Amino acid sequence: MNVNQKIATTLLTYRLRQLLVAVLSVTFGISMYVAMNSFMAGVNNIQTEITFTSMPHIKIYNELSAEITPILSGPEDPGAILMVNNQRNIRYTEGIKNADAIKKELSQMTPVVGVAAQVNQNVFIRNGVSKASATLSGIETLNENQVFNSSEYMVEGDLYELDRRSNGIILGTGLAQNIGVGMGATVYVSNSEGMSKAFKVIGLIETGANAADRSRALVSIQTARQFFSKNRSYATDIMVSVRDYAKAASIAGDISGLTNYKVEAWQEGNSQLDAANLLRDILAISVSLTIMVVAGFGIYNIMNMTVNEKIREIAILKAMGFNGGDVIEIFLTQSVVIGFIGGLIGLVFGNIIIRIIDNIPFNIATLSTLPVDYRTSDYLLAFCFGMIITFLAGYLPARKASRIDPVEILRG
Amino acid sequence: MTALSVKQINKYFYKPVDFHVLKDISFEVEKGEFVAIMGKSGSGKSTLLYLLSTMDTDYEGSICMNGSTITGLKPDQLARYRNEHIGFVFQFHYLLPEFTVLDNVMLPALKLKKKSKEEIEHEAIRLLNLLDIKDQAPKVASKISGGQQQRVALARALINSPDIVMGDEPTGNLDSQNSQIVFDILRELARDEGQTIIAVTHDDEFAAKCDRIIELEDGELVS
Repeated sequence: MNVNQKIATTLLTYRLRQLLVAVLSVTFGISMYVAMNSFMAGVNNIQTEITFTSMPHIKIYNELSAEITPILSGPEDPGAILMVNNQRNIRYTEGIKNADAIKKELSQMTPVVGVAAQVNQNVFIRNGVSKASATLSGIETLNENQVFNSSEYMVEGDLYELDRRSNGIILGTGLAQNIGVGMGATVYVSNSEGMSKAFKVIGLIETGANAADRSRALVSIQTARQFFSKNRSYATDIMVSVRDYAKAASIAGDISGLTNYKVEAWQEGNSQLDAANLLRDILAISVSLTIMVVAGFGIYNIMNMTVNEKIREIAILKAMGFNGGDVIEIFLTQSVVIGFIGGLIGLVFGNIIIRIIDNIPFNIATLSTLPVDYRTSDYLLAFCFGMIITFLAGYLPARKASRIDPVEILRG
Repeated sequence: MTALSVKQINKYFYKPVDFHVLKDISFEVEKGEFVAIMGKSGSGKSTLLYLLSTMDTDYEGSICMNGSTITGLKPDQLARYRNEHIGFVFQFHYLLPEFTVLDNVMLPALKLKKKSKEEIEHEAIRLLNLLDIKDQAPKVASKISGGQQQRVALARALINSPDIVMGDEPTGNLDSQNSQIVFDILRELARDEGQTIIAVTHDDEFAAKCDRIIELEDGELVS
């Protein structure tokens, strides 16, 4: 420890209460930063999680092309008028023809973690007189679980029971409530061709996404193919989940090279989710940075007061041969030490706050406590920002101290 | 041998009004000389001392100490020069109140870094012993009496064995007994160790015991 650091520590430890106040202001700023950002990250995570229980990262389906090729080219004679009456854009093929081949190719791509084929069709579900429209999804249970984690959201029953019972159906909780059925009840499902079939409710599912929970009915994919009179490898949609959902758009670009069907990443048409996550992050960071800047002003104020209080001692140090750089070192060391101690305590304190938030009951949707995320980057950033701010807040008074003219002070 | 030579010093104050404080001051001080600077208040004696101290650099003319010109050096070089070659005693002790007596005395030497910490501590104890306040060494500086504080300040001024010791009314705030002790120490140093002493004072008794008196009147050298 050189003489400047010795002076700094002596000055710092002599007034413990002042040191404590300064350290606390940094502690407060940093712990708030950690707490706010961890909480926001938790909210963002749960939001995305809920979203992806019913929406895949990437969806492949047969889309009716919006581009209509004219059936007749324009007339050669400029005087002639071409008229086509009753022109229609007709879909000749429904669903995905070679679903198995596409699935096989997709599962060989490295960023892809799950591929599930679905047969989706709008149907009516009746229980006596009460009826509701619903989307009937024929699913491959194993793959479905890989993509959507569906079995985690089963309120009653077992997802894999669908494979064993061809007349089994799983209803969204909202839908079951709408038509007034529970476990074991029999419902009648009728499709657009007027065919009707009886199913037994063997499970209830709730994902937290209300719209899906009110309209979803799951059966096994073989049952669905049979019900809609389709062949063995028929599917209307292929759902793909990837390792990092933020990269879904670029992966979708790669996939669209493999097939002529429409490949849609979740960002397409759901940019509000992306925007909401970003806005929450901006809000959290700006609020917590503001708190840190206020803490910085606290340090600035305390150091400024110390410099004013110690003005004669600074003058005498300069008279004894300490130069401006030494004086800056003496005072900057003090604020950096304050920032460092306050920062470390702040990280611990922030972690405690987060643990408390993590245990606050919050029984909405699928949550039982408030959502948080423990991210190392939050702690690192909080500490870095804290150090930068204390450094700046300490530098200004230190520079002022270094510019004190000893003659002016010592002459009185 | 010349310890200090001052040539054609002119100094102006611009605030609150333009004022010619020091007018064509020139003099020399021999090594080991004990010089008192006297004059009425406002005669410019303190201003002269602060020019000599190298802390005030806003003047015309030149100042040489021990053969080297200090006029025109950069602030950092001047700080280094002060640290090594000049010791200060002020009317008020200006000790660092948070530090112990011993630490206060050691600070300038720790800054100079020419000796090890043990040697510096040894030297500091020797000086405190010489000034008869060795037993106060571990106490916090703010907890000892005024006369003792001034003696600590003197020990601090002497720790680097400076060529020149400067005092701004070094005994101005002391009772006659303490002021006698401080004077005797300074006197002894000048005689035994060849250190040059320059002190501003308005105490005639103090001045009478010096080797030489430099008297200022309205910024001009009278004698």
